[in-house]
Amino acid sequence: MAETAYSAEDFAPAPALASVQGISRPSLSYWQDAWLRLKANRRALFSLYIVVALLAFTLVGPFVWRLDPALQDLEQISQPPGADRNATIVEPYRPWNGDDAPTTASLRLVEPPNTQAVRLVWAPLPGADGYRLYRNIFPVGPERAFGLPLFETLDPTKRHFEDRLDLRPQTYFYSVVALDGQGRLTDAFETVAAEVRRVITVEEAQAMGLVEEGQALAPGDGIKLQAHPLGTDYLGRDMLARMMAGARVSLFIGLVAPLIFITFGVAYGAAAGFFGGWIDQALMRFSDFVVALPFLLFMILIRVISGVQPGESGIVPLVLAMVLLSWPATARLVRGQILQIREEGYISASRLLGAGAPYLVLRHMIPNTLGVILVTLTFAVPTAIFTEAFLSFIGMGVAPPTASWGSMCNEGIKTMLTHPHELIFPALFISITVLAFNLLGDGLRDALDARMRSTE
Amino acid sequence: MASNTISSTGLAVRQLGLFAFAAVAGLAALMWGPNLLANLTASASGANSAVDAANNAITVLLREEPPQLDSTRSTDQVSGVVLGHVMEGLLRYDENNALVPGMAESWRIDTEGALFQLREDARWSDGQPVTAHDFVFAWRLVLDPDNASEYAFILYPVKNAEAVNQGLLPGDALGVRALDDRTLEVDFERPIAFFDKLTAFSTYLPMRQDFYEAMNGGYGADADTMLYNGPFVIANWVHGQSLDMRRNLYYWNQERIRLDRINVGYVTSDANTSLNLFKDDKIVLTSLTPENLTNALEQRWQIHRFMDGSLFFLEFNHRPNRLTRNLNLRKALYLAQDPNELVYKVIKLPGYLPGASLFPIFLDGEQGKFRDEHPAPTHRMDLDAARRHLALAKAELDLEEFPPLVVLTGDNPVSNVQSEYFQAVFKKNLGLDIKIDRQIFKQRLAKMTSGDFDIVLAGWGPDYNDALTFGDLFASWNLNNRGRYSNPAYDEQVRIAQNALDGKTRMAAFAEIQRIVHEDVVIIPSYERGVAYVTHPRVQGILRRVVGADTDYTNAYIVPEG
Repeated sequence: MAETAYSAEDFAPAPALASVQGISRPSLSYWQDAWLRLKANRRALFSLYIVVALLAFTLVGPFVWRLDPALQDLEQISQPPGADRNATIVEPYRPWNGDDAPTTASLRLVEPPNTQAVRLVWAPLPGADGYRLYRNIFPVGPERAFGLPLFETLDPTKRHFEDRLDLRPQTYFYSVVALDGQGRLTDAFETVAAEVRRVITVEEAQAMGLVEEGQALAPGDGIKLQAHPLGTDYLGRDMLARMMAGARVSLFIGLVAPLIFITFGVAYGAAAGFFGGWIDQALMRFSDFVVALPFLLFMILIRVISGVQPGESGIVPLVLAMVLLSWPATARLVRGQILQIREEGYISASRLLGAGAPYLVLRHMIPNTLGVILVTLTFAVPTAIFTEAFLSFIGMGVAPPTASWGSMCNEGIKTMLTHPHELIFPALFISITVLAFNLLGDGLRDALDARMRSTE
Repeated sequence: MASNTISSTGLAVRQLGLFAFAAVAGLAALMWGPNLLANLTASASGANSAVDAANNAITVLLREEPPQLDSTRSTDQVSGVVLGHVMEGLLRYDENNALVPGMAESWRIDTEGALFQLREDARWSDGQPVTAHDFVFAWRLVLDPDNASEYAFILYPVKNAEAVNQGLLPGDALGVRALDDRTLEVDFERPIAFFDKLTAFSTYLPMRQDFYEAMNGGYGADADTMLYNGPFVIANWVHGQSLDMRRNLYYWNQERIRLDRINVGYVTSDANTSLNLFKDDKIVLTSLTPENLTNALEQRWQIHRFMDGSLFFLEFNHRPNRLTRNLNLRKALYLAQDPNELVYKVIKLPGYLPGASLFPIFLDGEQGKFRDEHPAPTHRMDLDAARRHLALAKAELDLEEFPPLVVLTGDNPVSNVQSEYFQAVFKKNLGLDIKIDRQIFKQRLAKMTSGDFDIVLAGWGPDYNDALTFGDLFASWNLNNRGRYSNPAYDEQVRIAQNALDGKTRMAAFAEIQRIVHEDVVIIPSYERGVAYVTHPRVQGILRRVVGADTDYTNAYIVPEG
């Protein structure tokens, strides 16, 4: 047997060679790496900006745009964005019973028509036993479509009328048609055009806060009505202020509910996965049971049980219902991850070194599932916002005058054809928010997936 | 090898193209197919359009399925419309809303009672004569406590009716007798000024005993479980879908009926569906909502307007322990709102009239209209006075701050807008918080009955054409007085109006009631409801009625083309 001779040099440490051991790039932590990859994903990054902008809109917006979302500007009902808002100051409205109506040769306006009232008098029409007065938005053509019937009388001596119905600053065409004894239309009619000016009284202007301190206004002066950048709704409430107020409700529910139910789901899933055996069986069968519960039914039940008084917004029961019914998905996901991680070598090593259960779960297992959890959270947010919108849409959510995007959609859909902006804006905000959170979640999933970690 | 790849790529492209084509074709078939099919079947039968001149038929829409066609128990408007077409009472309203003979050809009414002579040719739809016994049976049935008819009270002018209804007297104690087959005698509980008008109401319709009993409790549930004595009969009734009314060949006045068929082809309460059906020439009449008014104008339709005689108001809860029992609070609320603003700027439908009185404008007075003879009290919004009253109320109720008031409201577009408007108005003008309690009709009614509200957005439509139908609404014994308002002075005036026969005395009592309602702020009148609607240009003679079947097609006819 040949002897191998070792010398002391053989056991000397090898010299450190800069060419081999040198670290060419700075070391990247898991999060730094994820951030790098997220930044490279332009779609996700853009979504992130939108989410930040949305938070700013919700939290900072009301301090910049200080209009009360419940304030009703009845002078400007259902105004689209960018509508003309010039008005003239007039005297307060005085009832008019036509006593001082001047005699006239034909249908004509008594006073310059304005949005307070349009006052009309007319002369007797041949063979008239009564009159019907119409208003239209275009001239009466040969088809004799007179428009909206406003007034009818079978007293031929009553020949004046005051129109106050929903007057807008535009041109109206009034027609008076003679009726026969049975109240049927005859061929005799007259038409007059009225170009209605928008007016406002000093009191109304003051009440709306349009008059500055020390500013004296006299009838005839021009004034600009309250600006509404996104227009107004069917009660003249400012859409922008309502969008901000609605965003607060929508985002509150959209962020708080997922945070709570994901925290719970993680704890539940981790416990089930870590202990395994019959505990796992019992916990997971219970979660299966919860999955089987119908959401809408339980939402209504929880509302009833929690004693929401009529006229109160049921935000708390809504969050409660979401938390109680949405956690099993997260729990299942986390349990699956934990079951996998439990068998990893580093867990066994940690166990051998004497680590207890809480330490193992909190130090090793949950941080390793954090990527999955974060992705679930970003996907849960749009789902929650959507659920809130849906529930408010069917009238199970917030109570008036509180606005949420869903309830605004519900109101807007009634006037979809005539005033589309009342539906488009809230619907657009819901869509953009949901899309942004979804794309962000998508990007995060790619960025946080350790298997896709940059190999360089 | 290379050619192989190319050909397989070509195959893939071809497959993809084929798939895309199939998808587009499938989508197109899905989109246009049903429409095409519908057009084919429509042109084949021709019965799908609103006016079918060949068969002298029209198609109409009902808001909902008639819930109760048993006239002794029916309470709602939709059932009333159908009953108005297929049944006829002793008297009826004609096209000028004048009372004319119906089943009775002559009648005599005095302070003690009434005597009706039935016409000889009055027939049921199975050919048997309509007799006085049928009226006696029907009226006893209405008042039978087991029948639990909600409209039994409308028969109370008949002698002993109330006692019979409460089970204190047997049914045959009721003051109505058939002297012979064609003579009906009625005794009154007390003199009544408008009994003739009541006999046109649907609860007074006749019912034949042998048929009713043969149906074994199923009367009115289907087309063949009913007997008809009106101008039309129900030939076919598919529940929830359609109801086919045909000319009644046994009806005594055949000249009156000008249509052979009224087909209720659609049952929906959706305003947009209704408008689209009208636009597509599927129905002859549709109501308009503020949202589709502009659309109707652009279609250049002739728009009609009609006031249905219903009054809508804020009704206060006058029960003890309710804040709204305080008069100063009610006055404050009354003075802080303006019904003109509500009607002209918020509801914005032509035909609506700002509310001013408990009595709507259509009611007759002594000579002319009641409201012309006794003008409604004038109302002016006065915020200073309102705030003064509110401060007084606060002191009287010993409150630091008012708790929120609960406004109970129905779940429909007009109520929703209205309640949100009042919420903002009372907040802005008085600093009062309002909670809106939105409920479906049945639930709202239950809450109104149990008194679970502070203010309710309520309405009342006339049952008969007399001011008493509104006047007795807040009498302490009236079950429809949901706020439980109780005032001896008011009750006394109601009794005068009920018992007096002389028009002057009665109108003076109603004027006094109008004054009490205003000064005691029993209610805040909001508006009298109107309807804007359009009709098919070829169909004439459609009647809208304040009292009775609205809409009434019995007199309608098709104008020949050209």
